[in-house]
Amino acid sequence: MATNPSTYALSQSSESKQRLQQRRRLFQETDWTRSDGRSFHQCRPAFLRTGATNAASGSAYAEFGVTKVIVSVFGPRESKKAMMYSGTGRLNCNVSYTTFSTPVRGQGSDHKEYSSMLHKALEGAIILETFPKTTVDVFALVLESGGGDLPVIITCASLALADAGIMMYDLVASVSVSCFGRNLVIDPTSEEEACQDGALMITCMPARNEVTQLTLTGEWTTAKINEAMELCLDACSKLAEVVRSCLKEAASG
Amino acid sequence: MSTMLRELRLSLNQTQRVRLQSALQRLQDMASLASAVTVVADTVPVNHEDSILKGHGTSDLNGEVVAALCGVVERVNKLVYVRSQRARYKPEVGDIIVGRVIEIAPKRWRLEINFSQDAVLMLSSMNLPDGIQRRRTAVDELNMRSIFEENDVICAEVRGFQHDGSLHLQARSQKYGKLERGMLLTVPAYLVKRQKQHFHHLENYGVDLILGCNGFIWVGEHVNSNGENDMMVDQEKREDVVNKSEVGQATYEVRERITPLEIRKHVCRVANSARLLSALGFSLTVEVIVDTVEASISSNTDIKDILAAEFYVQTAEREVQRRVSLTRRKG
Repeated sequence: MATNPSTYALSQSSESKQRLQQRRRLFQETDWTRSDGRSFHQCRPAFLRTGATNAASGSAYAEFGVTKVIVSVFGPRESKKAMMYSGTGRLNCNVSYTTFSTPVRGQGSDHKEYSSMLHKALEGAIILETFPKTTVDVFALVLESGGGDLPVIITCASLALADAGIMMYDLVASVSVSCFGRNLVIDPTSEEEACQDGALMITCMPARNEVTQLTLTGEWTTAKINEAMELCLDACSKLAEVVRSCLKEAASG
Repeated sequence: MSTMLRELRLSLNQTQRVRLQSALQRLQDMASLASAVTVVADTVPVNHEDSILKGHGTSDLNGEVVAALCGVVERVNKLVYVRSQRARYKPEVGDIIVGRVIEIAPKRWRLEINFSQDAVLMLSSMNLPDGIQRRRTAVDELNMRSIFEENDVICAEVRGFQHDGSLHLQARSQKYGKLERGMLLTVPAYLVKRQKQHFHHLENYGVDLILGCNGFIWVGEHVNSNGENDMMVDQEKREDVVNKSEVGQATYEVRERITPLEIRKHVCRVANSARLLSALGFSLTVEVIVDTVEASISSNTDIKDILAAEFYVQTAEREVQRRVSLTRRKG
């Protein structure tokens, strides 16, 4: 190839497809090493901090491997006039990507699906009755997308809500698991997500043992689902401890 | 140090860092409550044999009292509640607040006061500029913009809550009203404690300081009609002013507009001192602010250097000494 420079890069798409196929085959095998050297049941190291932005009433920054997210919480502030009166508070979520978040530079845009999923994941944990007539806005910005974006956003958002002093039943933590043939891989990277057979994401409140959201896609067997859920719930409770220690640290100065 | 991260970016050298840490450590040791920090979903230890009242910031889980906020657990007799440090302002009737007009609606102004809702100042609950008590007419309503415009900073008093939870303000005295020629600072509301006096005239500096209970602090040039003068005197003065302005309107106007450089510097110095104290997380009272201003002058600190590392550390150390001397005096 190097001796014979090609004027057109026609072959590239088929080549990348081939590479994807190859990788997919590799992932089907029982034993392979993950690109970042983790074992299958090992999560990426989590880095969390509160107080990422100045103007917000609460904010947090999360970095799980290469995935980097900032969440800012505004409010509770008065609902827009156009909205009807409501005795409970409203939650408004918005997830957006920066233009440089993916390897291919794209248009940074709102992610409608993630926005509604973030809303579903959080609304069960917030005590909405404590701020009638008002709205809490949660804005998530993905700085770099490296797989498992939504679980990171949800965990980071719950940290930001706690930082904003919004009443919650419990912190929520979220972890996803990918299924490859016979293997279950926790906290997948974007490379792994592209080739997975199925995905499971659990958002839960560990102290109450309640699940606020569960998303299941792809091919699964019942036994596998049970195994994956066990795995997720265990990881969630550990992740919640990390979030908790971050909050403790921030509060005690 | 979350407060530092949020407020100021300091570059401390090694010795300054050590000094700051020891000062903060001593402050923490001295705090009698040794504030037990709770995080969301921590169980709050209570004695279940006593009857307890679950207050704000708590929820219930299998009969246990669980925190719903991050903050400090407070106990008052039977009541157990969690006080959050980063929450918004909670108004109480009679509070003096500083706010910013964000909207003019029929017969009312809407103000941003760091509460979860916008506060409402009715046209009928403030004194008209002519000082006459009468019904507000449609003409008054049309002239509302001549009293307060959007983005004006206003000082007012909390009048009460409506049945739907919205907050009403009043400005029925000359000391309330529009604030001009100065600057507005916003600090966390819990740093401003309710006191007898929220209006302060720092005579040495010719500066007015208004500590709004909502954490909005006004530092501005001293205004004469402000404060304890009663309304009659005010009105007479106002007439004087009218007469004067009729005589030499142009010169009067010009004199009104310009704030001397000296005063401007004082305003900045007081404002920076207040900023510094809020970054350190100390309660803002007029004594502490004046003390900091004096210290900055006596140590020949530039106005901009009040927010720099050295003076930051010095202020923390001075606070330690102040508290030590206070406890000694008590003992």
